[in-house]
Amino acid sequence: MIFLRANRSIVTLALVCLGLAVSVEATTVVDTKLAADNKARGEGELIHGQPLDDLSYLRKATIDVVGRIPTFSEIEQYQNWPKAKRRGLLLDRLFKDKGLADRWTIFYADLLRIRSRAEGGNRLLAYIHNSIEKNRPWDEIARELIAASGSSGNTPSVGFLLADDSDPMTMAGATAQVFLGVRMACAQCHNHPFDKWRQKQFYELAGFFGKTKQVENRLSKKTYVTEGDEMNVLWPPERRKPKERFPVDPKFPFPVEEFSVKPDYLKRLEALRAGEALALTKHKESESLDALIDSSGGKKGLGIGVEPVALSVGKQSRDDIRKLDVKGDLYRKSELRRQLADHVTGPENRYFARNMVNRIWAELMGRGFYHPVDDYQGEVTHPQTVDFLCDEFIANGYDMNHLIRLIMETETYAKSTLGAEVELADRDNSRAAFASGTKRRMLSEVLYDSVVVAGHLQEYKWPKGANVRQVERRVRVALEPTPEEELELEIEPVSEGEKMKPNKPRANPYNLEEVISLDFDQLVKSELDRDLGEMKAMSDREIEAERMAEMARKKKSVQRRYTYETVMEKVDDNPKFSSSMRMSTPAAPTHFLRVFGQPSRDGLGEFREHTPSMRQALMMLNGKVTHEAARVGPYEPMHALLAGNKRNLAKAIELAYLEILTRKPSAEELVEARAVLGQAPVSGMADLRWALLNSHEFRYLP
Amino acid sequence: MTRRRMLQATSASILGMPVAKLLAASGQAAATKAEHVILFWNGGGMSHVDTWDPKPGRPVQGEFSAIDTSADGVQISSIFPNLAKQMHHCALVRSIAGTNGAHGRATYELQTSYNMDPSLIHPGLGSIVVHEKNRLGDLPAFITINGQAAKSGYFGQSCSAYFIGEPGEKDPYLSFPTGITNARGNKRLDLLARMNARATGKTGVTDFKATDSAIKEAVSLMKSPALKVFDLDKEKPETLARYGDSDFGRGALLARKLVETGVRFVQVNRGGFDTHSNNFPAMENHALEMDPALASLVEDLAATGKLESTLVLVLSEFGRTPRINSNAGRDHHARCFSCLMAGGGVKGGQVIGASDKDAMEPADRPVKPSDIHATVCHALGIDHEKEVYTPQDRPMILVREGAEPVHELFA
Repeated sequence: MIFLRANRSIVTLALVCLGLAVSVEATTVVDTKLAADNKARGEGELIHGQPLDDLSYLRKATIDVVGRIPTFSEIEQYQNWPKAKRRGLLLDRLFKDKGLADRWTIFYADLLRIRSRAEGGNRLLAYIHNSIEKNRPWDEIARELIAASGSSGNTPSVGFLLADDSDPMTMAGATAQVFLGVRMACAQCHNHPFDKWRQKQFYELAGFFGKTKQVENRLSKKTYVTEGDEMNVLWPPERRKPKERFPVDPKFPFPVEEFSVKPDYLKRLEALRAGEALALTKHKESESLDALIDSSGGKKGLGIGVEPVALSVGKQSRDDIRKLDVKGDLYRKSELRRQLADHVTGPENRYFARNMVNRIWAELMGRGFYHPVDDYQGEVTHPQTVDFLCDEFIANGYDMNHLIRLIMETETYAKSTLGAEVELADRDNSRAAFASGTKRRMLSEVLYDSVVVAGHLQEYKWPKGANVRQVERRVRVALEPTPEEELELEIEPVSEGEKMKPNKPRANPYNLEEVISLDFDQLVKSELDRDLGEMKAMSDREIEAERMAEMARKKKSVQRRYTYETVMEKVDDNPKFSSSMRMSTPAAPTHFLRVFGQPSRDGLGEFREHTPSMRQALMMLNGKVTHEAARVGPYEPMHALLAGNKRNLAKAIELAYLEILTRKPSAEELVEARAVLGQAPVSGMADLRWALLNSHEFRYLP
Repeated sequence: MTRRRMLQATSASILGMPVAKLLAASGQAAATKAEHVILFWNGGGMSHVDTWDPKPGRPVQGEFSAIDTSADGVQISSIFPNLAKQMHHCALVRSIAGTNGAHGRATYELQTSYNMDPSLIHPGLGSIVVHEKNRLGDLPAFITINGQAAKSGYFGQSCSAYFIGEPGEKDPYLSFPTGITNARGNKRLDLLARMNARATGKTGVTDFKATDSAIKEAVSLMKSPALKVFDLDKEKPETLARYGDSDFGRGALLARKLVETGVRFVQVNRGGFDTHSNNFPAMENHALEMDPALASLVEDLAATGKLESTLVLVLSEFGRTPRINSNAGRDHHARCFSCLMAGGGVKGGQVIGASDKDAMEPADRPVKPSDIHATVCHALGIDHEKEVYTPQDRPMILVREGAEPVHELFA
């Protein structure tokens, strides 16, 4: 089944590549529908935001599609394109850029609450990244997330269930909230006084997960999601009378569209899918038992040094397991969850399309047609627009890139925000009507990567040895035990290796800005690497176990007495930084990314935090990345404009503004910058760039 | 007082309860001695039998004995010999009846008083306190050491905790980067302020204004003389030794210095209590670090009189099974566990509630986890039933409905 789906998406990809460009009518229709909706809302004369100029559009679109600001050469390329075709050509380029998958993985990771530390978390992350790279249809991805069985080793989409221990109640709440934009989980405990959802309906939805089981395979130590025979969701809830409880009969609580005449968008979807199916008929689904066993228990991962032994054990057990019904035991597909996936992703289920349309719209516009985006209560602000976008989304086979591009090509997307000269109430009105833009802050990952790009920090910008300096380090020195201590407390004399042990290896005080990238390709390919990847992102339990072992080791060291000494060390402080988008996720709670709003993804209903804080300010004002990005290294193009015989300060200032803010400086700003550069242009430029990188204009999208 | 509470109060008084008592219960007549809180958060679920609720003579007692303390008739585990000498300042609650046995859910409840809710994030105790009590001085009102505090939830980032990674180590973000002199750093800040003022003035964007004030706050912290409080190098070596040569010891010492400087809420985190196996050596190791630190903190606060206005609370998400498992460990036990309190108006030397003979269930005066939060609010003069609104205008009360302060603590 997996093979079949994968191939279908390749076909889809081919089709998409042929016709990615969104038809001109469709984008115009969105603007027209919005105007009509606003009229129907009784909006009088709205004050409209000015259309964004070309460079602002370049900045906004680049940030939204690939998650970073444009580089100088991208700006040049864009400006060399004919004015009338610029934006279209830009989008063509952006939608082919590898950065798209990185940036939109963040969107899905927030939506699906992907946690690297959860069972199968990194694997799920890599699966999503891969799916975006191939632009797989959203309904197809959602189906796999809901219906998957197996281990994350060979069915990575199962990570969605594994992360919540396949708990029926949690999964019911998640299904409604994540895929349909409806908060139903409150009904788990009670009939909500204002909501239309009854507790019974919630239990019936949970029933689709009621036969799902999680088992740990003794052989591979992997957890599998499989299907049992018994329905574990019982009605009525435990606390209620009568005491007798019965297995629920799973029912999908959401009303679906009914029509006497098949609407146009459905016909278009059917035609699209029929074309894909035709291309697939030659492909045969093949799933051999050996392949399944190999992928389930063959590779052990942890036995790196003792692989031959591990394999022989594997071989023996494999013979044992061959007698069992592997598919039946470990991989039993869930008929119930398949049915649920049908209900959820069916084109007649408007909730499914509307949820994604609203989420993408909110991601690109700063606000949705209903708010919060997981709390649809039967009303949207702009019904005609939503309907049109849903129809288009469905008709184009739930093509996410198509939907994103459709929105980005509208006039509405390219409207700027209103200035302070407009009354606040009018500004609010215009924003709510999408007559003007809403200021959005860069996502934390985008902010980090944009500083890295603006400061040319992906490569070394200094020669070796140019930044050597002395740093102080405090080290702990063990004191020899007194004879009494040796005797009574059994403290051993200080060994050679112990003599000058650092108190704690704290080589990098700025480790809250470090990133370590995951290799998504490897994560999808190899089980062994996946294991290593997951070991790096240890589970809480493992961390706890390690801590306990550490405590045991510590016992003696607590009794040993120490003194502290300060030593000087030489370091060449010439760092490089890579993209933060492929880190295991979410980052540590105090990491730059989390401080700027990356959610912990612990529970449903947790969104990205966009409010400013003092800690954010400190991390940008005094942080390592900003500091290094601001400094002008000799390997940067900027350097030649500031020192040497090609010196051109006006050009240098213009380059700084283009590289950081994607625009040229105003006359006033040029004068200001000249004064900042003063008599020491190289350090003055660092000051100017530092300020630009810290400015509101940098952090907030046009 | 909310309208709903007033109605309840009125109807209850009809049933014969004195209004004064109801007012007291609703926080109106709260004891207002406490101005600061130091919360020691012990993550993983700390064994209650091996700490505050020993059961000498019972098989559940395990490897440690119970020792007498400076409080008459109060015994604690033998692994806390120094703290035992300070127990006349401390009160124990031995009958907390929790309901969540999983770390995540229990931690959430014990830190926020609420159960997890898919529709919103509740603020933790520290965020509640700093939402209700103004900041004193330049330092952040809420500081967490050696780990994270609960989220600020619907109160937003302004009520979230400021994080200190390693007490005693310099926080690089509190000063200009290496190589940037103060003069140059200040010039940079001036330039940035000019640029941002233009942008804020032109656009009037609310978030710009909020960023401006965050920067202002950050700069004033960077320049604050109060920052020297973070520097433990100037402490006498004897003081450092008394608190113990550990991050925890330094954390406790820093916590004391912080409340002395005016910080409202300090949380000191410690993990590693999930002792499913080898419980006893692990707990002994914990106590080696905790005992001198806690004892010195209480002793020092009492000596300066600061204990009067500082509530010290040692809390965990649940206790551990009195029954010892086959790995010489103890498993999760939420039904009955203990906490320690001192100062802030809490009368020392007493025990509130009791567990049964094997510390399995509360035998006397069960205390809900949310009662602990109500108690902290009560000590600080915060109405724990105050109605507040989330950014979505949803009405909430600070501490979960039904919570009652443990008034006997303050008798």
